[in-house]
Amino acid sequence: METFQQTFPSKSLAWPPAKSWALAGVVGSGNLEVLIEPDPSSPGGVGFSVESSIPGYKDSWLAALEDFADHYAVGGTKITIHDQGAAPVVIKMRLRQALDLLISPTP
Amino acid sequence: MPATQRDTRRRNKTARIRRASSLAQGKIVSHEKTADLLRAIIEPGDILCLEGDNQKQADFLAGQLASLDANDLRDLHLVMSCITLPSHIELFKRGVVRQVDFCYAGPQGNAVAELLAEGKFPIGAIHTYNELYARYYLDLTPRVALIAAAKADRDGNLFLAANTEDTPAIVEPTAFYDGVVIAQVDEIVDSIPRVDIPSDQVDFVIGAPYPMHLTALFTRDPAAITDVQILMAMIAIKGIYQKYEVASLNHGVGFNTSAIELLLPTYGEELGLKGKICKYWMVNPLPTMIPAIESGWVETVFSVGGEVGMERYTAARPDIYFTGRDGSFHSNRAMGQLAGHYAIDMFVGASLQVDVHGNSSTVSKNRITGFGGAPNMGCQPTGRRHPSAAWLKVGREAKPGPGALPGRKLVVQMVETFQTGRVPTFVESLDAQDPGIKAAMHGVAPVMIYGDDVTHVVTEEGIANLAACRNDEERTAAIRGVAGYTPVGLARSKADTEALRERGIIQLPEDLGVSPARANRSLLAAQEIKDLVRWSGGLYDPPAKFVDW
Repeated sequence: METFQQTFPSKSLAWPPAKSWALAGVVGSGNLEVLIEPDPSSPGGVGFSVESSIPGYKDSWLAALEDFADHYAVGGTKITIHDQGAAPVVIKMRLRQALDLLISPTP
Repeated sequence: MPATQRDTRRRNKTARIRRASSLAQGKIVSHEKTADLLRAIIEPGDILCLEGDNQKQADFLAGQLASLDANDLRDLHLVMSCITLPSHIELFKRGVVRQVDFCYAGPQGNAVAELLAEGKFPIGAIHTYNELYARYYLDLTPRVALIAAAKADRDGNLFLAANTEDTPAIVEPTAFYDGVVIAQVDEIVDSIPRVDIPSDQVDFVIGAPYPMHLTALFTRDPAAITDVQILMAMIAIKGIYQKYEVASLNHGVGFNTSAIELLLPTYGEELGLKGKICKYWMVNPLPTMIPAIESGWVETVFSVGGEVGMERYTAARPDIYFTGRDGSFHSNRAMGQLAGHYAIDMFVGASLQVDVHGNSSTVSKNRITGFGGAPNMGCQPTGRRHPSAAWLKVGREAKPGPGALPGRKLVVQMVETFQTGRVPTFVESLDAQDPGIKAAMHGVAPVMIYGDDVTHVVTEEGIANLAACRNDEERTAAIRGVAGYTPVGLARSKADTEALRERGIIQLPEDLGVSPARANRSLLAAQEIKDLVRWSGGLYDPPAKFVDW
């Protein structure tokens, strides 16, 4: 088990988002759960909170999360991640899915 | 013409047949006498063809051949599509093979790598299927061919059922250049449903004690398709299939393309693409295509081989599949590969490794697999002259110049950035470049698809349009741009990636209007094998290992 928190700068999310929260993925082997919620207190940054069952990958996580924060406009949100050994391809997709769900008007 | 070159092969064939005549009644030989027949027919130094590809095997004959005493088999030059069975490997262990020319060694890839390391695997060359068949008509014509058929009549006419595959490509050159053709058959009957190989071209027929081995190689269980594969399929459908109006195509055997097949009746329908794309297919009878066929997407399918369980379904859909006068499915590997080379708009394949130049390979240091048919389809057929909408559109994007082709085939590599076990798919240099492997291949690294032939790379990150790159540096930057968090991807420059994205050479899901949130299994037209049976109206009979109800 490894847990850590980190905030990265990010362009502000288009306000207001369509939903008050969004969840992508499930906690299961090789999978993860990404919860994204608006957090108006820090419009220029995104706070990540990660709990992963597999220790030792913190550097890779931070690289991927920083990249996500840099590429997408997610400033003013907080993202909570529960991981059970998801591969990098799944992590990236779940992050994209959670954001997509948060800003899409459809369910 | 020297006196020695008149009819030596014909006289030699007559002598061989005479040596075996006491073993046969007409052309029929009892299976107990198979070893005697092989001893009587095969001579040291022969070019011997053993039929077997990735699906169908002359396994009884292969086993009998491997059981012969090493004194009976010397100095063989084996020519064969696939090294698949333990009995094939046994021939090399016994040291009776002087040279082997082949295409593919999938299931025996590890054994081949071991034999190679021990110096017991004398490779002439590894070919694509059609390349090897072509050599059967030039410098590698078999002296003896050991083949497999479903049924024979008492004159030796053969019925090949759904699995015609390589048989005509082996039999014709052998029979017409005084070679000996020996067929194992599942059954000898008074009358066969249709004649696939005329008895004129067959010398001996053996009723094998058990049916030939057939593998259901192309069956993909929809239950194993992941959300990531669905996202990639959505990216490919919008960014390539729709963009280029791909009318004719080949799909490989992977789950990525199965996902695309199962999204046509849902996502494809929603995009209004029915009747516009994916009409003409050169592909085996894939069970995952049943929903698209039943929804009216597909005009025709021609196949290089059969697929276990699809016999009744294909026979009931003669508008789609090619069938014989008896009503049953017909395949032909050589002709299917020809169609896949010259007549399709797009080939989509997957690979274990892709390097920064776009070269790909399935070879690793411990596993030599070879090529099969993929490179024949995953290449630019520069002899093509007929245009199509897709061919012209890629041609316009590709490197212009006074000597350039007006069109290009879409050659698409569809890979996740990581394989299972967090092994990166993208690498700086392929394992196939290993000096030991290159030396065994006479200096040529076993590259499956060359980077120069590839037009697009699709990953879960997005699409890299290699055809539109103007030089090697751009191409490498485009590949790094979709290589995710692999070392190759992490070495990208953000500025380069963004510049390529502005030019449309790199396209991310958001650039294509693909919503990642929709990438989940509910978008598949079938969730499991049982759904495919339902779509087929009960005509698809999945093999037992896929049945859990």
